[in-house]
Amino acid sequence: MEKQRGFKVLLVDDEDVFREATARQLTVRGFNVLTANCGEAALPLVQNENPEVVVLDQEMPGMHGSETFVEIKKINPLVEVIMLTGNTSVENAIELMQKGTFDYLMKPVDINELLYKIEDAYTRKKLNEKQQQDASL
Amino acid sequence: MLKELTTLFKKVFPWNQEPDGPVMESAEVEALRLAFKSRFHSFKLLLAANSKVLEAMADMERALQGNEPFSMSFVQARCTSISVNVFRMIADMENISPGKYTALRDSFVAIQRQIDALLVQKKKLTDKRLVLPLAAVTSDMSDLVGGKMANLGDVKNKLNMNVPAGFVITAAAHEVFMAADGLQREIDRLFQVAGSDEDRNLDLVSSQIRQQIMSAEVPESIYLAVVDAYTQMKQQNGGQEIRMAVRSSAHGEDAENSSFAGQYRSELNVGFSQFFYYYKQVIASKYSVQAIAYKLNRGFRDEDIAMCVGCLAMVDAVAGGVIYTRNPLDNRDDAIYINSTWGLPKAVVDGNDLCDLFVVSRDDALTIQRREVREKGYKIVCFEDEGCIRTETADGQGNMPSLTDEQVQMLADHAVRIEQYYETPQDIEWAIDAAGTISILQSRPLQQMESHLPAADLDLQQFETSLLAEGGINASPGVACSTVFKVAKKVDILHFPDGAVLMVEQALPTWAPLVARAAAVISEQGGFAGHLANVAREFGIPALFGVKGAMALVNNGETVTVAADLGRVYRGSIAPLLEWKRPEPKLMLGSPVYESLREVSRHIISLHLLDPESRDFTPQNCQTFHDITRFIHEKSVQEMFSFGKDHSFSERSSKQLHYRVPMNWWILNLDDGFTHEINGKYVKLEDIASIPMLAFWEGFAAIPWDGPPAMDGAGMTSIMFRSTMNTALVPGIKSKYADRNYFMVSKNYATLSSRLGYHFSTMEAMVSERSEENYLGFKFKGGAADFERCMGRINFIREILEKYGFRAVVNADNLDARIEGHDMDFMYSRLKILGYLTLHTRQLDMIMGNSRLVSHYMAKLSKDIDSLLSR
Repeated sequence: MEKQRGFKVLLVDDEDVFREATARQLTVRGFNVLTANCGEAALPLVQNENPEVVVLDQEMPGMHGSETFVEIKKINPLVEVIMLTGNTSVENAIELMQKGTFDYLMKPVDINELLYKIEDAYTRKKLNEKQQQDASL
Repeated sequence: MLKELTTLFKKVFPWNQEPDGPVMESAEVEALRLAFKSRFHSFKLLLAANSKVLEAMADMERALQGNEPFSMSFVQARCTSISVNVFRMIADMENISPGKYTALRDSFVAIQRQIDALLVQKKKLTDKRLVLPLAAVTSDMSDLVGGKMANLGDVKNKLNMNVPAGFVITAAAHEVFMAADGLQREIDRLFQVAGSDEDRNLDLVSSQIRQQIMSAEVPESIYLAVVDAYTQMKQQNGGQEIRMAVRSSAHGEDAENSSFAGQYRSELNVGFSQFFYYYKQVIASKYSVQAIAYKLNRGFRDEDIAMCVGCLAMVDAVAGGVIYTRNPLDNRDDAIYINSTWGLPKAVVDGNDLCDLFVVSRDDALTIQRREVREKGYKIVCFEDEGCIRTETADGQGNMPSLTDEQVQMLADHAVRIEQYYETPQDIEWAIDAAGTISILQSRPLQQMESHLPAADLDLQQFETSLLAEGGINASPGVACSTVFKVAKKVDILHFPDGAVLMVEQALPTWAPLVARAAAVISEQGGFAGHLANVAREFGIPALFGVKGAMALVNNGETVTVAADLGRVYRGSIAPLLEWKRPEPKLMLGSPVYESLREVSRHIISLHLLDPESRDFTPQNCQTFHDITRFIHEKSVQEMFSFGKDHSFSERSSKQLHYRVPMNWWILNLDDGFTHEINGKYVKLEDIASIPMLAFWEGFAAIPWDGPPAMDGAGMTSIMFRSTMNTALVPGIKSKYADRNYFMVSKNYATLSSRLGYHFSTMEAMVSERSEENYLGFKFKGGAADFERCMGRINFIREILEKYGFRAVVNADNLDARIEGHDMDFMYSRLKILGYLTLHTRQLDMIMGNSRLVSHYMAKLSKDIDSLLSR
């Protein structure tokens, strides 16, 4: 029996097969998974559902992943974002890391690696929140 | 490494350390706990990233051995993974110690820039003409028109031989085509998604890419240039429509060491109304399954290959074939080999039928030495309207020679002249039309192999009873033994086991992707002039063609020995023949992809920051990503150590291990390494929660040490001599840090610095349920005996570690061993081995001059470890 991790993860990817298969695997592993098939659909979910971690595909039609990332951070600066990409461009990867994505994974993604990254991103988010809280006291 | 760790531990573990500093308010303690937790989380992320970097660097090092094929996607993916994780480490280091190591970012950017420049290296075309008439092409234009058409241009324009009229759609046009609508970007993305499984997902990747190309529009500029060139050809043909041969002429194709034989598409007898469809087919064939596999196995970069397309007036041949201006199988043989068949030469190069062979001496008279007229059951001819058809030969034509002696000699004369012009042996495709005119369709460099026959005194009679078939055509020399796997249809490719003997009915280019994975190839049909034979020779795989009825002789899974030079196949393994096996060529070495990896690895793998105590150990001196990771790893450990001390934070100060009695083992709890908060000076073993430390300790304490080994006179002399050179080795004045050991632990992590006797070792381990992130690193150095004996012990330990699955490297007198990616149980068992070895290799350097004692201890330690692992 997988442990229940409970927290919300938003998975944004335009590839239906990948999104659905990954969402299923993350759900089986105890995450509360929300999905969106494009950047535009992801933003209201970030606003209303308050996910802890967002897993975001970079190459999407319409609003590009990097653009979506910027908008997500405007809504909630503390949410941690893990970027997925099928593009090996180092420049792109580093640029996104500099902008504050938690990590950058290349497709095809090993599901366990993604799971660890989500857990690590969640821990980091909680620590940041706690530190911010303490600082404001 | 060891020296600086000693210094570091001196700083962090002061001997008379009083753990309790000034009393702090609980809010302050809470804030410190949170700060420490945050730092430790960054430290864990940093270690995971470090592990990823080391893993990717190990992949690169393995690839650099040149034994396995790899693609540019592999190189790019590893570079990106390393860059991202090094960057991750820098960000984590900044979290651990804000503002202290900002210069790391500058070093990172400088290194990254150098790597980027190497990865995007691409030849720039200066000539932007989209179409060139063949009459204007010469061999120095291979960048613009591809090797095949550049060579043909010289045959036409410099040697003035008969070559069909035509034009070339250039590399510049290819660039325009691929840039339109982001086609190239999409192709790169598809390759990337296929990732390292590229060779396993070949069919899918190939089909997706080819579909993209076929559904793309031909840009108007190319369309207009081609229509213009065709119109001119038509005018020269008295206004008559011309059917064309649309032939690939890609970069790298027909080069000296790589033929790309049959890997790309050529379409024959094409009417102009269908021309652009076939133009796209030829471009798409750059991504055929066999072409991708070939590029992968030969180390070609996709971006280096532009598909130029040659468009020649079709020759309606009555006979055609391939000339080898010398024997490709034996570089001592200078005779001219003419392979010929009825109809178009395609039947010869495709390898699906037998063809005639005429061997001509290179004398003034061009004497025909040998005629092998074979039964040519089929021929390929032009359809009246468009396309070609394979049809049965009729009226006894199949058994008649496809060339007259006069034609043979004329072809031989062409061959000699072309070879003289190029000053290297050539592989020439030719055709003869109904009027008897010879046309040259292609000429490319021919690779010759060294003949490698078995020793003359080897009596082959003794293997007669095992003989399964003989009389086959040696298509690629050599001998190999393995189990047979028959491939009859495309789907069988998916089940082909690596290292099997590939058995087919026809030697078709379709099977080329399997050649590199096969031990040998046997085909019922085909000759040594076909594409598949070419590919087998390039890859050094023995191939025997024309073995009649071969498919019915053996079942799948039966073992055979193929002796291509003898034209024989034997049942079972014939050991004396296998001694005559050729070494496998390392095809990746020197290839463009290999060179790209070698170049980038200079900025990634090399290590310059060796001594953390040196003044040069600074972020500014990091020249490679390895330097950066080395620097960060060192400093992060140091920063984690100093946290408790700097903040007088007793929870995070070191404790002394109490295991029955107080021991010289000191432990710093990083996070959840103890079962509960420990106040006071000592921590008991039962209070330790650290999995890796407990595993290590279990191995350390499991079997009592017998004490120092009995030394021989030489061993003692060696130590006495060393002691006079190095006072630290004299027990009376040895360092106070000798025999002290320091752990830094959390539940899933432990690092240990240990000095027992005169050797020094460090261990670092991450062991959790996340198997993929688990790793164990072990370093060992030193000893009291002389250098040879110390090295003897290091190699002794290396041998044991390798036996239990560690990857171990000895550099100077340092042993560096690592294991990763295994589950908790496995990692636990390996930590027990390290614990055991740390204690039981004490002073073993002294007996390393005595081979009997070395054997004794090897047996004893192995036995102990096996018993330890079975517990």
